[in-house]
Amino acid sequence: MSRALIAILAAIVVLPLVVRPAIASEIWIFAIFGLGLNLLLGYTGLLSFGQSTFFGSAAYVAGWLLKHYAINVFLALGIGVAVGAASAALVGYLCVQRSGLYFIMLTFALNQLFYFIAYQWTSVTGGEDGMPGIPRPDFLGIDFGEPLPYYAFVSALFLLSLWIMKRIVESPLGKILQAIRENEVRAEALGYDTARFKLAAFVIGGAFSGLAGVLYAMLFGIVPLEAIGFVTSGNVVFATLIGGSGSLYGPVIGSFVFIWLSESVSTLWARWPLLLGVAFVIVVLFFRGGVVEAWARFSAWRERKWRSSRQTG
Amino acid sequence: MLYALMGLGLALITGVLNIPNFAHGALFAVGAYLLASTANLIGNFWLALVVAPLGAALLGLAIEYLGIRRLYAAGHDYQLLFTFGLALILSEAIILVWGPVGYSHLPPPVLRGGVDLGFTFYPKYRLFVMVAAGLLVLATWLFLEKTRYGAIMRAGIENKEMVSLLGIDIHKLFTAAFALGAYLAGIAGALTAPIRGLSPGMGVDMLGIAFVVVALGGLGNLLGAIAAGLLIGVAQAIVAAHWTEASSVVIYAVMAAVLLVRPQGLFGIR
Repeated sequence: MSRALIAILAAIVVLPLVVRPAIASEIWIFAIFGLGLNLLLGYTGLLSFGQSTFFGSAAYVAGWLLKHYAINVFLALGIGVAVGAASAALVGYLCVQRSGLYFIMLTFALNQLFYFIAYQWTSVTGGEDGMPGIPRPDFLGIDFGEPLPYYAFVSALFLLSLWIMKRIVESPLGKILQAIRENEVRAEALGYDTARFKLAAFVIGGAFSGLAGVLYAMLFGIVPLEAIGFVTSGNVVFATLIGGSGSLYGPVIGSFVFIWLSESVSTLWARWPLLLGVAFVIVVLFFRGGVVEAWARFSAWRERKWRSSRQTG
Repeated sequence: MLYALMGLGLALITGVLNIPNFAHGALFAVGAYLLASTANLIGNFWLALVVAPLGAALLGLAIEYLGIRRLYAAGHDYQLLFTFGLALILSEAIILVWGPVGYSHLPPPVLRGGVDLGFTFYPKYRLFVMVAAGLLVLATWLFLEKTRYGAIMRAGIENKEMVSLLGIDIHKLFTAAFALGAYLAGIAGALTAPIRGLSPGMGVDMLGIAFVVVALGGLGNLLGAIAAGLLIGVAQAIVAAHWTEASSVVIYAVMAAVLLVRPQGLFGIR
């Protein structure tokens, strides 16, 4: 077992003792969401600013079925994954043909398309009020309505997602995606149909987002309109970047930092997105490279200080 | 026409600076709120119409000079995060200063009421906006096409290295392009305020539309942005007349449909 895995397992055990189980669950749900984005952003070099499209679509569809047809938990999750993947295939098909700035802008614009559909289709989605009353059905006699069993369930699914993602990035597919990130022209020259592989990354990322979306809907019992809004897309990008997009565990660290901070600040001040914006700006201007690099710089600074104090002393 | 103004400003910023400007919608909202405030303060709509977009342009100047300038080498992800953060700050600042509830701002007395066009009755202010926005687009286009500075800006879109090798200060060019783009966003916002009223969410709605216009217009294609802006505006007006609920969705649907057929945009080469 690697050190990272031990740290994560320890965090899973300790977290519900430190924060409310709902926040603890949200951290791992957001981490699953981040894992999906990171396959695109970190491994394929595609900056998708529309991940909430898949997150929100899956949450709405599975939430609707849970609410009106009382479907099984695993069926709901499966449907969520399928909806996430399908919507990602749709969006991805339009986006992978463009690159750079245009790719980013298209993912955002299509995100807006889904947002406005959800906003206007009030008979199903509830529009601005969100879709409330989503149940957490029992499974095999386990009552997921209780916070702790649900937390355990979410944690288990997170570990499963992490394991699957590790397998994906270490597979030949993952290597090809990284080749596309490093040099798309060369990957194409080697005979890989890069557009198809980028689409594949999109679909897989969408499936992870969908899983996270359904878990989120069941956690809070509601699908708010924000779940499909662009701020959610921005948050997951931010979380992944502060964690460090280069590594498998980056989005996990990022989601941990992001959810914890935002949950503690948002209860203090209603205008907390202002602080979030300030945080974005400060991180970008001074701490590019995320938590990992900030730590490295801090250590270097401490080392320098230690040395200079030895010289003078 | 307003969409064309927004799109033109954004296309300029995207083309010259090569950054994703998620603060473009916020600059639009700032223009609108500045207009309402200055018009109420000094009691003169026309003066406010001059002042408000200049405020947005100054803000753009500051943003480029203090922030974006340091990020040209940083990659799109960080540039995006920065402008997105700015957008959050600006829209929250608007809520702090002007309150979370939207309100309306009346056009000046001269432009209230409507005109009889024979076949239909049309509000005077909307006619004014159409003409004003049309003139602004024309003026901007003439500036870019016919003047020396305009030529430098277009050259900056084509080849930045070559421009700076020719002894032109590329940083000044970037600052100027961003400020001009911000000015266009600000004046679009100022003109919009009496039509749609003011709300903190107005920036984001417009941002999505501006992206659509640029994506449809094609890479670095300013004329394409104008044409796409007109197309989107007309499509939305037609749909809104028959099915109001779908009017915000239709913009994105048109974009998706066009991109299915022409992935490079209407006038794009790449």
